[in-house]
Amino acid sequence: MRWSGGGQWVCPRTQHKVPTHVSESDGRTGAGVARGGLRGDRFSRSRGHPAFRGFRAEGSWTLASYAGFFESELNRTVFWRTLKLGAIVTAVSAVIGYATAYSIVTLPPTARGRMIGLVVMPLMISPVARTYAWIVILGRTGFVNETIVWLGLSDTPIRFLFTETAVFIGLLQLFLPLMILSLISALENMPKDAVPAARVLGANWLQVFVKVILPLTKEGLVIGGTLVFTGSLTAYITPAILGGSKVLMLETLLYQRVTVANDFASASIIAMILMVMSFSANLLLKRLATARNKR
Amino acid sequence: MVETGNSVERLAKLEARKDDPEIDMAVMSTHDALSAARKGITQSIDVSRLSNYDKLYDIAKDPLGDNLAVGYTFYATSIAYRADEVTIESWADLFQDKLKGRVAFPNVSTNQGPPALYMVGKAIGDDAADLKAAIGEVAKNKDDIVTFYERSSQVAQLMQQEEILAAPIGRFAWGAYSKMGFDMAWATLKEGQTGGMNVMILTKGAKNEDLAYEFMDFWLSTEIQTKLAEALVDSPANSEVKVSDEIAENLTYGAETVESLQLLDPAVILDNRESWLSEWNAQIGQ
Repeated sequence: MRWSGGGQWVCPRTQHKVPTHVSESDGRTGAGVARGGLRGDRFSRSRGHPAFRGFRAEGSWTLASYAGFFESELNRTVFWRTLKLGAIVTAVSAVIGYATAYSIVTLPPTARGRMIGLVVMPLMISPVARTYAWIVILGRTGFVNETIVWLGLSDTPIRFLFTETAVFIGLLQLFLPLMILSLISALENMPKDAVPAARVLGANWLQVFVKVILPLTKEGLVIGGTLVFTGSLTAYITPAILGGSKVLMLETLLYQRVTVANDFASASIIAMILMVMSFSANLLLKRLATARNKR
Repeated sequence: MVETGNSVERLAKLEARKDDPEIDMAVMSTHDALSAARKGITQSIDVSRLSNYDKLYDIAKDPLGDNLAVGYTFYATSIAYRADEVTIESWADLFQDKLKGRVAFPNVSTNQGPPALYMVGKAIGDDAADLKAAIGEVAKNKDDIVTFYERSSQVAQLMQQEEILAAPIGRFAWGAYSKMGFDMAWATLKEGQTGGMNVMILTKGAKNEDLAYEFMDFWLSTEIQTKLAEALVDSPANSEVKVSDEIAENLTYGAETVESLQLLDPAVILDNRESWLSEWNAQIGQ
């Protein structure tokens, strides 16, 4: 046993046996706290593997950095914006997805194959190219604005670029095919007679959708929803190009922290938050699906 | 072995291998070089071993002090604008009525950002190093600024699409603008133009010091600097380089231009960068 500078007893033998992070919190805290402390630069000071730095402060495990992350108004704005856009994109793609998928499934086989091909095609084009196309389409002199001005909806072109609307449109186009494909395979597995049977029994279309189609295709909705939501959260190129620094999302904020501030600790916090959001979304969707099932 | 990546990435790599450097010399922006110097990654350069040293413009000779770095290129930053649509004579003209919703500004995180803010500060009569006044001025106009750009190629595209009519840019990007078919102009501003410099550094404990010196000298030679200038890679820091007017148009070239550059002191950048970023994020970032 010896007296360490930090003011606590340290057993040299245990120090050898315990894993590094424990020995750090035992033996090295004295010096660590004195030098590092929880100052403005707390992120870059904490040691350990980058993936775990977010949990580390003063050499022990803590969630303080996460609380610190949400103390910043900018970070909160970015978090809510990411969550909001992810949710809206998922919801809208579910609505469009059902309509599209149902119309495709009811087509004869050849036409169905062609339509699925059309749905898949955008997935084969690089997201960079797809996103850049939107810059041209949504620009002042682009197709959308020329139509708006021509129709007399507005005298001057509307600014779409670098707004949340642009990011929403870009993300929706990027991930809608995933939702459509998931729903197509779910609808194909649905018994062919289910819808006519419900109609014969007097259900209107809304009832058919809510009571028959939705429960029978919920698996596809959960998969599609998770893919779209996770994709929207973690997309980098689209928010970077269509939103820029005025519409920061968690992913673009992460990139900024790493490249500009060399701040891997905040970046790992953001990455963790993104992962938690993805898993929660998946669990939530599954929960919703089972709850509906029980009814 | 050649390591690539942007200035910050290079700095991170050097830092990671501090105790056993595998890199002998590196090039980076002045403030990143100063940051490396402060971390003890670099050593002073023995300029007597560089036969081309005396040919350099004065501002390139010892930008960090103690011969910790030698400048090999620099660029001017001014405002590129559509001369047929607007007139720009001051950095404050970026916020004129005609440019509402038609102007881009560099993000504070880019190399163009802080120098541009510094000049905006000068234009509104407050060029304190904290850039508070300038950031405040930009924040006041943020809804009228189309975007805070992060890549110079992005600005070129917005200009081409007529989304914007003016933006502060580095001279190295000018080539694309003059070819757009618009009446583009490089502003001569009453506060002057700003810019940045890139420098070479020698790592502490470099294993191939002789080769590093040889390479630096080669890079600074009139022949190589001329070739780099002619290929429009980097503007020459070697004052003996002569290029045609056509080439010079796309560069930051000539003694007069070089002397007119109002560069931000790298120490000022380094010491204030964090506070600029938080000021920017607080006022503009959301």
